[in-house]
Amino acid sequence: MNVPKPLPGSFRDPSGQVYQRNGRIFRTVNESFSHNFAFVRSTGLFQQLADRNLILPFTDVAPDVLQASGLPAACVLEAPTLPFISFPYEWPFSALKAAALLHVRIHLEALKVGVTLSDASAYNIQFQGAEPVFIDHLSFRPYRQGEIWAGHRQFCEQFLNPLLLQALCGIAHNAWYRGSQEGITTEEIRRLLKWRHCCQWNILTHIVLQDFFQKSATADRSVQGPSLSTASFPLASFQRMLQSLADWIEQLTPKTGGHSPWKHYTATCRYSPAETDRKKRFILKFVQHLQPGLLWDVGCNSGEFSEAALEAGARYVVGFDSDQGALEAGYARAREKGLKFQALFMDAANPSPSQGWNGEERPGLQARASADAVLALALVHHLAIANNVPLVQVMDWLIGLAPHGVIEFIPKNDPMVKTLLQHRDDIFPDYTWEYFCQCLHRRAVIVHTETVSESGRVMVWFRRLAVETA
Amino acid sequence: MKKILYVWWVHVSLILIVFTDSAWAYLDPGAGSMILQILLGGVAGVVVILKLYWRRFTGYFRRDSAEDSGRSVPHDQET
Repeated sequence: MNVPKPLPGSFRDPSGQVYQRNGRIFRTVNESFSHNFAFVRSTGLFQQLADRNLILPFTDVAPDVLQASGLPAACVLEAPTLPFISFPYEWPFSALKAAALLHVRIHLEALKVGVTLSDASAYNIQFQGAEPVFIDHLSFRPYRQGEIWAGHRQFCEQFLNPLLLQALCGIAHNAWYRGSQEGITTEEIRRLLKWRHCCQWNILTHIVLQDFFQKSATADRSVQGPSLSTASFPLASFQRMLQSLADWIEQLTPKTGGHSPWKHYTATCRYSPAETDRKKRFILKFVQHLQPGLLWDVGCNSGEFSEAALEAGARYVVGFDSDQGALEAGYARAREKGLKFQALFMDAANPSPSQGWNGEERPGLQARASADAVLALALVHHLAIANNVPLVQVMDWLIGLAPHGVIEFIPKNDPMVKTLLQHRDDIFPDYTWEYFCQCLHRRAVIVHTETVSESGRVMVWFRRLAVETA
Repeated sequence: MKKILYVWWVHVSLILIVFTDSAWAYLDPGAGSMILQILLGGVAGVVVILKLYWRRFTGYFRRDSAEDSGRSVPHDQET
């Protein structure tokens, strides 16, 4: 009997698991949870939230679609596949904030109909463009009057504390979150806060007191106490807590303080309007010809060219950049204009690895590489010169991301490259147009090129070879 | 006094850990979070904590014999 295997990241919740088969996504509801699931479904909550695009819709399918014989499933649900899966440590500040607000909003709606969420994992949320959407239908269960909010600690660690790290300390959450996987503990954030922060009621309760009580409670487990049948967290208090968290998070903004190289990119950018137009026309031609379903824009900056690609016919664009200011601008652009554009944090020299349990719970960027096309504009010189990555490896990596793409070559005499070499020796004798083409021809053919600036910047449209040569 | 207070918080948190129905929960809610919610729950929650404090305070002086008998509590569920 061929029992299907769940996705590597779907193992913690005994209520059911997620499976992928033939490009479709299925979720099983185990017998032990079927009664609770039926109750939640009967409240109409799923439909209500799906109608408002707050949660992924689902349909019931026959178990044999999944070839689910042998699985302990009471029923099987199918949900739509998402264009790209991303993780909280890849989201910019505003995306994590939007995800936190979505979680609280959904929880408040659920409580109105006698339903609660059993956890508060940030991994229960994905994005469609700039809009967060809740994906874990099995997180919902019946609410028991007066029960404690079981997800509060997790909400603080995976949503609140990473936001506070940026809002109060000016430190981006991405690197820390990627390392810890489960966010930032309350003890850790408390150690970073100043006394003046702790005077605020929300911080005093959710951070300082929670940490104090946790420390005192975990010191000694050897003594038994009586029952506490009269203890409760009244529903009204629960709802007030959720609402006050939402009000607090709503007004959090990143504390920038320092200078972001890309914050004023449009003011300091060395492209003239004519040069920018030439770049956009090149991309327009490329995208109109290819009509990619999924396009990656590596080094997307504020998303200007990602937007151009969408206008030209790309269905979905995922942009990557390592600058927080640029990502905030990109997220704001997508949100304000309703673009199918998702800006994510990534250092191209250090992309997200596969990690978590067994090294596969959270697939790395390479494992999720499924783009139809890639843009790499004003990127190669950053990797080859600023990061000392051999040019041949840069080209191999970029061409490996998608079968078609546009790469921009910026020559040494360009002001942007001169800036990188301003305070260091030029140890890059191979960084030339000729060698760039030689590297590209190892794995691809050049379809079209165009010089777009007076300094000699060249846009190169490539097509990866079907049979790769060494 | 510091030690009494310390033991008090330990007892309160263990009560919560023992009492909480974890039938549906794969998630460890965290004792610190639970105690915070009890206190924020309003006057009733504060009264409950105060009642426990009195029982634990008097129980502290009888605690030595309970420790010697080797009673233990189950560990809370890990995430």
